[in-house]
Amino acid sequence: MSAAARNVELSRGDGLWIGRFRAMGGPCEVLAEITDEPAARNVVDIVAACAWRIEDKFSRYRSDNIVARINATAGAPVEVDEETAKLLDFAALVHRLSDGMFDITSGVLRKAWTFDGGRRIPARAEIDALLPLVGWSKVLWARPVITLRPGMQIDFGGIGKEYAVDQATRLAGQATGGAVLVNFGGDLAVTRARDGDRPWRVGIEGVDAGAQHAAKLVDLAAGALATSGDTYRFVQASGQRLSHILDPRDGCPVRDAPRSVTVAAPTCTNAGMLTTLAMLRGPGAEAFLQTEEVRHWVQRQEKIR
Amino acid sequence: MKIGAALAAATCGLLGIVPSVSVAADAEPKWDIDSAFLYYGESDGRVKDLSLSAHATRDFGDERKLGIDLSVDSLTGASPSGAIASDDVQTFTSPSGRDTYSTPAGEIPLDDTFLDTRFALSGNWSQPFARLYTVNAGLGFSSEYDYQHIGANFGLTRDFNQRNTTLSAALAYAQDTIKPVGGLPLPLSQMGDAVSDDLSPGNRGAGNDSKNVLDVLLGFTQVLGRHTVLRVNLSYSDSSGYLTDPYKILSVVDPVTGDLIGRTPAPGASGPTGVYLFESRPDSRRKEGIYAEMRHDFAGSVLQVGYRYSTDDWEVDSHTLESRLRLPLGGSNYLEPHARYYQQTAASFYRYSLANASPLPEFATADARLSDMSAVTVGLKYGHVTAGGNEWSARLEFYRQTAKAPNEVLIGNQLGNTQMPDFNAVILQFGYHFKL
Repeated sequence: MSAAARNVELSRGDGLWIGRFRAMGGPCEVLAEITDEPAARNVVDIVAACAWRIEDKFSRYRSDNIVARINATAGAPVEVDEETAKLLDFAALVHRLSDGMFDITSGVLRKAWTFDGGRRIPARAEIDALLPLVGWSKVLWARPVITLRPGMQIDFGGIGKEYAVDQATRLAGQATGGAVLVNFGGDLAVTRARDGDRPWRVGIEGVDAGAQHAAKLVDLAAGALATSGDTYRFVQASGQRLSHILDPRDGCPVRDAPRSVTVAAPTCTNAGMLTTLAMLRGPGAEAFLQTEEVRHWVQRQEKIR
Repeated sequence: MKIGAALAAATCGLLGIVPSVSVAADAEPKWDIDSAFLYYGESDGRVKDLSLSAHATRDFGDERKLGIDLSVDSLTGASPSGAIASDDVQTFTSPSGRDTYSTPAGEIPLDDTFLDTRFALSGNWSQPFARLYTVNAGLGFSSEYDYQHIGANFGLTRDFNQRNTTLSAALAYAQDTIKPVGGLPLPLSQMGDAVSDDLSPGNRGAGNDSKNVLDVLLGFTQVLGRHTVLRVNLSYSDSSGYLTDPYKILSVVDPVTGDLIGRTPAPGASGPTGVYLFESRPDSRRKEGIYAEMRHDFAGSVLQVGYRYSTDDWEVDSHTLESRLRLPLGGSNYLEPHARYYQQTAASFYRYSLANASPLPEFATADARLSDMSAVTVGLKYGHVTAGGNEWSARLEFYRQTAKAPNEVLIGNQLGNTQMPDFNAVILQFGYHFKL
């Protein structure tokens, strides 16, 4: 991302300062219940800096960061810093908890699948050729050293944004006593309830073609919300809509995945993992979330008003 | 196996924070309410309607929804009685049969005793049924001074093709009771003199009657790519029972000149100064229609174009073309222009007037709404979505109706006159959409 695009717009509305910027491929927003403009600008700058730092460090689209270094080694061991090590520990644990469904090495499957709303379905042979490069169990992770097999790649795309929301929210909470909501492309967390103990009212985007209203409003007084959905990312194949969620075990999109899953949890990372794991269960998404006893909203149907 | 606790602990390790269970996202709004205040006013002091309405939806989760509609309308003003204009002052007996009112020379007679309050309430429940089906069922009720309606509806939809295709079928049945002021006029009987309170008005039958309406709707919705939705509906409607408008009349005219036949009230009585017959319509009507609508999202601007064709065994065929375009204005504002064109042919028994001394037809009406008619509506809506996700809107629309009696029903001098002047109406609506 060019440096010129890294600017923050600050505006005032409904008793809040609203900071807007772009990071991690999408619009980001900070709502701060602060009267003073310099104080609000400071919080927004801290949040934006945090988002850009994490983007720079963990984006798979860059060639000069730790992810690029790990992916370029072709079998050689790489020693990583403490923050990266924590993310790898976390990824390893979720891989185990999800029986291998969540896997940060599944990104190479994108060489076969392009989720741009198009119609291209890869041949089975094309997918099979990539599967030997997928699987966290093929990775040697001995903190702080990681060794990938040649051709394998890791990708923090499934964790990075939610992690950034949590880190930025923590920094915002340290910078101001005012209530702050941090929203990176629909994944969001709050430092506390708004003044007067009022919750933040948050809209979850609908999945309809041309939706005008938020499909659902959620009042959030503490914690975080994460949403995983395929409103814009899918493959249209022989009348079927294939979700962008890939099952690393067979390299194919999960069948009958919901159109969108939103989960509320104490942290955005926690919520984001639950949405991803729910999507991976396809038709069993609702049952999974009910078992986990978390607040959730699942949209499956194209609702036409 | 539950993984929540292990996942939460791992997340805290990752973020370097103390584990907590601090999430409060329970207070999801339960009601979604669309409320509106509407003013509808016709030109030349005709009908005015002030209406307050609310549509409330309560989401019980898992796609189970309750919808409630409530509205109160206050209708005032006058509507054309069906009688033709005359070069002389015309006097009519009012619908109650107790009074008379007069229309100045050269003016279209309006029945200005029109004043009513309508109250309507309906409820609808919908929920998934089996894996790809949704069922819905509802009840409705409305009441006004001389009219009661009760209805029930049932529908089923099924999704196909990864929910890109939806088929639906719906059935509605209604029973309406009409209890006109002064009783039901006998079809094609003559309007008599006004009578005092202790006598019953002449040519009136039972106090009330009813009609039944069965509607069947088949719908097909197809998602055509990411930004386009097509919808096609087929409809069938069967009405039976009392379908006549008890307040509408026809003028009886000279078969050569087309001018009104005069009448003198009985000595000491007041009453009509012309010969007017109450209208008569068939006791059944079957309509079929097809509606097609396309919605397309052009990068945020949503265009909706719809066309409806309807035909019935009264020979009223109509075409409706309607379009809306939703234009985001940046931020949280939008503009929505709206245009509609409507055109219909006259009912087979539509008459501008009835010729004196000719055999009476079995059915006849002079109601302009059953004549050759076209109407244009243009309007603009402005909406604003607040930071809290609520939305208010204002809508202003103009309506112009042009009705024309077919030449073959005109007699003598009527051919050269303007029989039914155009009329205009203005519609102003304020809406507020909020969640509770």
